[in-house]
Amino acid sequence: MTTTEQPPRLPFTRGNALEIAPDYEALRRQAPVSRVLTPAGDPAWLITSYEEAKEVFRDRRFGRSHPAPEQASRISYAAVQDGPSGDFESEEREHKRMRRMLAPAFSAPRMRALGDRIAELTDRCLDDLQAARDADPGAPVDLTDFLAFPLPVLVICELLGVPYEDREKFRGLSERIARMDGGEDAQAAMTEFKAYMTELAEAKRADPRPDVISDMVAVQADDPTFTDDDLARMGAGLLFAGHETTSTRIAMGTLFLLTDTARRDRFAADPEGQVAQTVEEILRLTATSGTGLLRYAHEDVEIAGTRIARGDAVLISSDAANRDAAVFADPDEFDPDRTPNVHLAFGTGAHVCIGANLARTELRTVFPKLFRRFPGLRLAVGIDDIPVRTNRVAGGVDRVPVEW
Amino acid sequence: MKITADTGSCVASGQCVLLAPGTFDQDEETGTVVLLAEEPAPGEEDAVRQAELTCPAAAIRLTGA
Repeated sequence: MTTTEQPPRLPFTRGNALEIAPDYEALRRQAPVSRVLTPAGDPAWLITSYEEAKEVFRDRRFGRSHPAPEQASRISYAAVQDGPSGDFESEEREHKRMRRMLAPAFSAPRMRALGDRIAELTDRCLDDLQAARDADPGAPVDLTDFLAFPLPVLVICELLGVPYEDREKFRGLSERIARMDGGEDAQAAMTEFKAYMTELAEAKRADPRPDVISDMVAVQADDPTFTDDDLARMGAGLLFAGHETTSTRIAMGTLFLLTDTARRDRFAADPEGQVAQTVEEILRLTATSGTGLLRYAHEDVEIAGTRIARGDAVLISSDAANRDAAVFADPDEFDPDRTPNVHLAFGTGAHVCIGANLARTELRTVFPKLFRRFPGLRLAVGIDDIPVRTNRVAGGVDRVPVEW
Repeated sequence: MKITADTGSCVASGQCVLLAPGTFDQDEETGTVVLLAEEPAPGEEDAVRQAELTCPAAAIRLTGA
């Protein structure tokens, strides 16, 4: 028997895909900021309450770089969100440059313009879903294969200028870089992913197109401090983040709508009228992998009475913050009528998800189309038979078998 | 209701534009907020209130009823 009390180690286990681990609430009841061990076994602070999560997201004394990276707490053995990134001295400048470069491509007007194309691609995915059903009417169809994975991939490919034919390649690489126990294989996959982006950048240099990779190449031509490695890492990051996260929300949103027939029927009766609020509720409740978003303190900071020392790792659990009863009444209930629904699914502050409006546009297109076409859609297995991916940075589920 | 938008603290998330496209726009170059009018466009009062609450940078402020 051990006498020293060990802090709890992430990731916590949850009951099923739609829940979050009860440990978060238990910790929050004690304090907004708790001592935990990361999946890699290193010490970190975990933020579980909404107000403090928002505070840290907005506080510029926290960043993604570390003053002494070799001493930093490791989060996992994946190759994304695994430890410090960027240079401590120049992080803020670099980050501003990146946002300036990418903001126009992901702006709301650009996303509105992309809306028709997203609608067209969604229809195509739904045709494929129907065709799969017709080919074998007795068997359930996996919504992941025909909609949740391909749609965000088609969209991000067009936006970035990545060939859709390469999807199996970067699907494999995305899975490998985000495996929390990946270790050397995750690093090797990241190297391969970057080599792929470098090759693509080379092609855009010779033949620029109206896409984000071409924009980055153009910026690089005028800015020698923006290295090939920066470009490759950023391109791989955008491709990874641009499909994994939205795929997960399409899968999880479908699960939320299908696990309660009354809820499904209510949505299917007026999808266009309800979609904006329903999507926000899906975003609020969708739990990710359970490590939260990573920051390192750039100086000593006090949060809710807890002193966080310079260099300490801080994990902000949006999953937990989004179910903080101090802000959201009946936080575990799926209630599309919540207003306001100011969740932190995209983070907030300077690092707020740049693809938030892309994700919203996709999600607001997908669900009305899905339930207009298949109002009687149902889950072919029980929710407890859908395995949760606990080992992946972006979380999610492997399959969503449906029938109609 | 009078709206002010601080472009200095704006982080170009574009949430306000998605919520209230008649009131807010985004600069083509920088992505930062462009206020189209000092008052909400007709029918966008609630959306503008939501934009104030959800702005990741707290760059949108409302004054008056």
